[in-house]
Amino acid sequence: MIVQSFKMAWKSIAANKIRAFLTMLGIIIGVMSLVVLVSLVTSATSSVTSQIESMGSDMLTVSVRDDKGLPLRLADLSDIAQDESISMIAPTTQTMGSVKSGSETTEVSVEGTNASYFQIQGDELASGRLLKSADLENTSYVAVLSNEAAVEIYGTADATGQTMVMNGSKFLVVGVLAEDDSLMASIGNMYSIYIPYTVAERLADSSSGISSFYAAASDPEYTDRAEAAIEAALLSRFKNDEDSFYILNQSVLAETMSSVTNTFALLLGGIAAISLLVGGIGIMNIMLVSVTERTREIGIRKAIGANKRVILLQFLVEALMICLIGCALGIALSGGILLIVNIFTSDTLTFTFSGSVILVAVLFSTFIGVVFGLYPARKAANMHPIDALRYE
Amino acid sequence: MIELNDISKIYRIGDEEIRALDSVSMRVKEGEFVSITGSSGSGKSTMMHIIGCLDTADEGVYLLDGQSIEHYSENELAMIRNQKIGFIFQSFNLIARLTLEENVGLPLVYRGVSASLRRERVGAAMEQVGLANRMKHTPNSISGGQQQRAAIARALVTEPAMILADEPTGNLDSKTGESIMKLFRNLNAAGKTIVLITHDDHIAQQTGRTIRLMDGRIESMGRTGVAAVNGPIAADTGGGGTDGVNNDSAVF
Ligand SMILES: Nc1ncnc2c1ncn2[C@@H]1O[C@H](COP(=O)(O)OP(=O)(O)OP(=O)(O)O)[C@@H](O)[C@H]1O
Ligand SMILES: [Mg+2]
Repeated sequence: MIVQSFKMAWKSIAANKIRAFLTMLGIIIGVMSLVVLVSLVTSATSSVTSQIESMGSDMLTVSVRDDKGLPLRLADLSDIAQDESISMIAPTTQTMGSVKSGSETTEVSVEGTNASYFQIQGDELASGRLLKSADLENTSYVAVLSNEAAVEIYGTADATGQTMVMNGSKFLVVGVLAEDDSLMASIGNMYSIYIPYTVAERLADSSSGISSFYAAASDPEYTDRAEAAIEAALLSRFKNDEDSFYILNQSVLAETMSSVTNTFALLLGGIAAISLLVGGIGIMNIMLVSVTERTREIGIRKAIGANKRVILLQFLVEALMICLIGCALGIALSGGILLIVNIFTSDTLTFTFSGSVILVAVLFSTFIGVVFGLYPARKAANMHPIDALRYE
Repeated sequence: MIELNDISKIYRIGDEEIRALDSVSMRVKEGEFVSITGSSGSGKSTMMHIIGCLDTADEGVYLLDGQSIEHYSENELAMIRNQKIGFIFQSFNLIARLTLEENVGLPLVYRGVSASLRRERVGAAMEQVGLANRMKHTPNSISGGQQQRAAIARALVTEPAMILADEPTGNLDSKTGESIMKLFRNLNAAGKTIVLITHDDHIAQQTGRTIRLMDGRIESMGRTGVAAVNGPIAADTGGGGTDGVNNDSAVF
């Protein structure tokens, strides 16, 4: 009987294709906006969180606000790095510098750090070498350039071996980093130059100590342990003053980020769901018209032996079918839209179907088909055979 | 087979009460070919609807095959219609968007008959009415006479004991009507009980017995439609004590 209901429903939909399509339109648009909006948000979210994770979800950023007259030294960092939950640690100081090349001056961001920095950040070399611990020990005037900085200053990324004059000091360019096409790099757009921490300290001409550093956990699972270890070390160092330093846990950042975007996705999804609901009301409207139009047919069917349940099923299945066909068309269309969106967005962001939203769309369409199909179907099922047969 | 005992059907419109059927009693035996005549509004269709379990009486008892249908639910009545009764209507009442094959097979669908058996039985029924070569046609691509034949095939396909026809020739020219009547006579000869409603005395004469209605009451019951206009008649109802005519019915 169920199979027969589907056949009957299909026949009456096929008999009136234009109307069926117009009825579906609400569902099509609703499903399309639901799938597209939620897919866009979740794709963007997963792209951003994976960027954060590629920066290392195992990364901790520590900034020291007040050293209580006990400045943090490189040796302190090596002590902290002894903890087995911490694999690497890199001090950073950031200053501005101007690089002279010929008659032109380029403003750059100068990062004083050590060899671990690049590993923690996941930066790769294009040519030359990275900073070495010997560079820090010997306070060598060497520099590693970001790709953008090399291109800006020398007009080519192949700048290894060049001599660079920055703030009046001569540096040897020992390496150039590979191009970083990540989203984060394009946000913090600066020409970056990396020099040994000791050199930066000397140039800054103050021995205020390390004001910030990065640490990487030996395993992403140990991030929280590493955070605790650093916290303990710094607390004992800074006389138990919790406010004298601040630890930013990258994995917490990723979590916050995804919870914010999840809320956003839910909000957009909710708006789209309302449009689906409106589509459902449209279906109910047309189904009511259809039931009235087919009153005589219902009478005939009852006269030859259709009972209430069969009539109910026929119209319910018809409403459901309209919803699900609309849903399928909506999903297909949103796939097309995502494809087009992908053509116009950069390679770093790819929008893909969110599997769960498709499931939600199908379930919700089914729900709407049943809920809004039920009333017209019951109306059909409860018709009196004679009244239905008499209907003109 | 059919036994109506003091059946009344009352419609109320506002304060007015219309007795579409007023204490009607009659019987139809198995294998009979009965016609019901009467002027428009005399209650013919109402009577057929009650006999066909499409509607229920407000008063009186209707026994179908000895069983009172009074306490059956709507779904049980649907099943009785499906199994015991074949309907034929004046306006054919085929579903326009289905092919003849699908239309004729529909009662079997509701009976839960498998597709292959359905095809066989539909083929046989269509053969019987001479439409075997029109299976894939839709109702509006064939003539009225052919549509009525298809409707008859639909009534026959379930092999019901009884066929109820409400003015089956009303929308047809006399020649086509004649061929439909021939079909009915053959079916009756093959043992089907047929109750046929008609305006046409000529058609009524072709049946075994005519019941004449007037204002919801039975005016006469006699052979071949030649009925007395006034006065009591000994009704030929095939036996039974309750049958007869309420002669005091002409109150309207
Ligand atoms: N649903 C209804 N509501 C009110 N009155 C009704 C209804 N159905 C039938 N009637 C009345 O019952 C009476 C009998 O109607 P019925 O249809 O049985 O007549 P009929 O003999 O079949 O007439 P016709 O030859 O025109 O088909 C009529 O007076 C009609 O007005
Ligand atoms: Mg009538």
